[in-house]
Amino acid sequence: MPRLVAVLAAVALVVADARADLAPRIDALVDAKAKADGAQVSPPADDGEFLRRATLDLAGTIPTAAEAKAFLADPAPRKRDKLLDRLLAAPTYAERMTDLFHGALMERLGDHPEWTAYLKKSFAANTPWDAMARDMLRADPKNPDTLGAAFFLAKRLENYGQNPVDHSALTRDVGRLFLGKNFQCCECHDHLFVEDYKQQDFQGLHAFFRNATLVNAAKLHVGEKLTTEKLAFASVFTKVAMATAPALPGGKMLDIPTFPKGQEFAEPPDRKTNSPGVPKFRTLAAAADLIPRAENRDFARNIVNRVWFALLGRGLVHPLDMHHARNPGSHPELLDLLADEFVTHKFDLKWLIGELVRTRAYQRSSRLPADAVMSDPWYFGTAIEKRLTADQLLNATVAATGADAKAAEALRAKFHKAFDNPSRDPEDEIAPSLRAALFVLHDPAVLKLFDPAPGSLVSRLAALPDEQVADELYLTVLTRRPTAAEAQTVRELLARHAGGRPAAVGRLAWALVASMEFGVNH
Amino acid sequence: MRPLCTPADHRVSRRRWLGAAGAGLAGLCTPAVAQELRRRRKQVLFIWLDGGMSQLESWDPKPNTPFGGPLRAIPTSVPGVHISETLPQSARVMHRLAVVRSVSTQDNSHSAGVDRIQRGDPKNRGVVYPYFGSAVAKLAGAGDSGLPPYVWVKPMNGGFIYKDAGFLGPRYGALALGDGRPPENLLRPPGLDAAADDERNALRRLADQRYAAGRRPEHTEANSYAFEMAAQLQRRVELFDLSRLPARDQQRYGTHDLGRHLLLARRLLEAGVTFVKVTSYGWDSHGDHFNQALSQHPKFDQPFAAVIEDLHDRGMLDDVLVIAMAEFGRTPRINGHVGRDHWPEAWSVCMAGRGIKRGVVAGATNATGTDVATQPHDIGALFHTWWRALGIDPETTQFRNAGQPLPIAHEEMTPVTDVLA
Repeated sequence: MPRLVAVLAAVALVVADARADLAPRIDALVDAKAKADGAQVSPPADDGEFLRRATLDLAGTIPTAAEAKAFLADPAPRKRDKLLDRLLAAPTYAERMTDLFHGALMERLGDHPEWTAYLKKSFAANTPWDAMARDMLRADPKNPDTLGAAFFLAKRLENYGQNPVDHSALTRDVGRLFLGKNFQCCECHDHLFVEDYKQQDFQGLHAFFRNATLVNAAKLHVGEKLTTEKLAFASVFTKVAMATAPALPGGKMLDIPTFPKGQEFAEPPDRKTNSPGVPKFRTLAAAADLIPRAENRDFARNIVNRVWFALLGRGLVHPLDMHHARNPGSHPELLDLLADEFVTHKFDLKWLIGELVRTRAYQRSSRLPADAVMSDPWYFGTAIEKRLTADQLLNATVAATGADAKAAEALRAKFHKAFDNPSRDPEDEIAPSLRAALFVLHDPAVLKLFDPAPGSLVSRLAALPDEQVADELYLTVLTRRPTAAEAQTVRELLARHAGGRPAAVGRLAWALVASMEFGVNH
Repeated sequence: MRPLCTPADHRVSRRRWLGAAGAGLAGLCTPAVAQELRRRRKQVLFIWLDGGMSQLESWDPKPNTPFGGPLRAIPTSVPGVHISETLPQSARVMHRLAVVRSVSTQDNSHSAGVDRIQRGDPKNRGVVYPYFGSAVAKLAGAGDSGLPPYVWVKPMNGGFIYKDAGFLGPRYGALALGDGRPPENLLRPPGLDAAADDERNALRRLADQRYAAGRRPEHTEANSYAFEMAAQLQRRVELFDLSRLPARDQQRYGTHDLGRHLLLARRLLEAGVTFVKVTSYGWDSHGDHFNQALSQHPKFDQPFAAVIEDLHDRGMLDDVLVIAMAEFGRTPRINGHVGRDHWPEAWSVCMAGRGIKRGVVAGATNATGTDVATQPHDIGALFHTWWRALGIDPETTQFRNAGQPLPIAHEEMTPVTDVLA
């Protein structure tokens, strides 16, 4: 009974916050499912775990020891909400979202300064997701404000070596990343295992993108050729001839307008300037108009599921690009609720993120409930650890070790090389990485971070009396105080190395930075 | 180019990659088989000639026929068996080899072919099958070599290629040594002495152990596995230093890529690695085929014969199954660019060593080499053959994927018994 009271009190507290009207409804659905299935639920994360998690998720780095101390000591009952408000309003929010969305949308295919600038600007202004998607799919070469968004298409319209432009992969990626549906198998036949995925779905979507062409890669200039007739295709199994105009999966075909010969272009091609011209019927514009719409359920369901994945560690629908009737996900009503509310709030990403991080589901500990069996991850009963991105890891390493900004920038490329997944690989799963392990073990630039230097963690610790080292080390690197056993390990080590104290402190700090606890957002 | 169909909803989560590890061999095979596995060592040398070696200029020459081309056939150490004049060294060791001339497979594109052949093209069950190397790593284990079970020596880049493992999970992926070099950052930098290194790693492991208590195991176990592999390789750095070998070895294998890589492969097999794959690129000769064959085939011939001889001299051919193959053969018809194109319909695979008869040729193509004249053998039949040669019974051994039993070779096919010892 006291537990119930506590839960009710917590609910009342959240409900009282007008901004957080969605969070309690999310928790009601998540908790109901866990309860119905008897799934174990972990207690809330403690303040240190929560502070580190939220800072990594919303600012892309870890808090300083001073911030950690202040937060742990703050008696204010609503300090978590205040922290979230501050993180969502800080300029680091746009940096973090840029890292997150760049990874999700480009999957390490490449980068372009205009693209990064576009993402940063959009997240700083909290541009609605439908508008961003429209910019990316429309790829308007004439609008300097949105030109960077064209990189999504432009990069995928490049040749790779001697291979022709892979328009099919572009179509697949639009389906995966904007609609949450991977139609790859449907290029040649209806999906063999997913009833909902038809060859028509792939080909109809393909009809929007197959005539896109890269005019100038450096300038992100995407053009398109004329679309004058339907796209013909046939299943490799049935060989029945079919044809489709541009159409969204499961949607109606567009009418392909006919123009008298010579009048197809709004702006005719110009051989002198190598311009492909601008057709009157622009299928990219049509896609940009039709895909990011409130009526397009796939569009809203995909993005709320991806944001959920980014914060909670697993999609409600998983894999993220397999939304279909027989894979309704762990909490179908919750996905519907999120999609509905997201549309109602006009595709406001910061609002959605703000709601999700205020849920109890987000704020649970990653530790098992005591004496209990860990429930399956799709109950979200215990926080799921998220691997840090290369940028998060670099920011956190620099923050922990006290490296200067110049050293940090010099390390960025190395971190990406060591920790990025292979390109075209979704970042939703863990693979053991020998390269990353050897990088952390032996790369001279990494090891140098643990040498004494002005302002560095190691120098700071080496100057402290023995009994203060463990506290400062753990607060700086892991955003928590050490356990008694950990503090003892530190004291014993220092006692063993009364001589080479800075080097011993360096090894201690390295061991924590190389540890799992540091490498994940738990 | 059609992308390979890879249904994502059937791919096994990499999070589950350690799920089967605890079960080990016991979860995979009957106790009798497991016992047998422990008793004898099983190793494989898998030589992959990417792009497709021409059977007509190698194991199945057809001189003086319409598609035979200008090159001759030469006698071998096995009376009555002739192979192409581009492989004189292999001809010398023919009495240790077995050639199947009746291979007939399905895919004539590289993208589908490489995958289907190396995965054994089992019937489509909606799961991604492991490459042969990952499958052997799983079923034969790492042994007591203290090295990863599946090592891939290849030109260009290296890394840990977990995708080979399919549903077995990334642990059974390939450790790829780009250009035979050790992975970047393998060596402990001079400024860090061994005692300090041991101390910091002990602290790291202690931190991981404390963190893991009461948490989901996946992340920590994946991480420790990577660090373990790093430590394993560091202990065997000398393997990568071919300059320590007698100069004669290097001369016999050759200093070209495939020569160096096969010499490294021998060293890895000697060190006890279960499965070593060596890849050579540049076999896709759509134009100027015969000049290419004359320059390319000796690069295979020399180190291949050398490694066969060395394995024999060391008594290792009883343990090591050697396979040399590609994703398909090349067309009998010579195209307008004096090239040969892709030909899965009728081609040859060479094998030797463990469980394989010595000095035999199985199957035959017709007089012009356009088709298989005897019983055709698809890749599934070769997988059956290899499993048998390794002493792993495909009838009684199964993979388990999240509880689902899966055959280790296409269940409608049977081994090429003519080459089984």
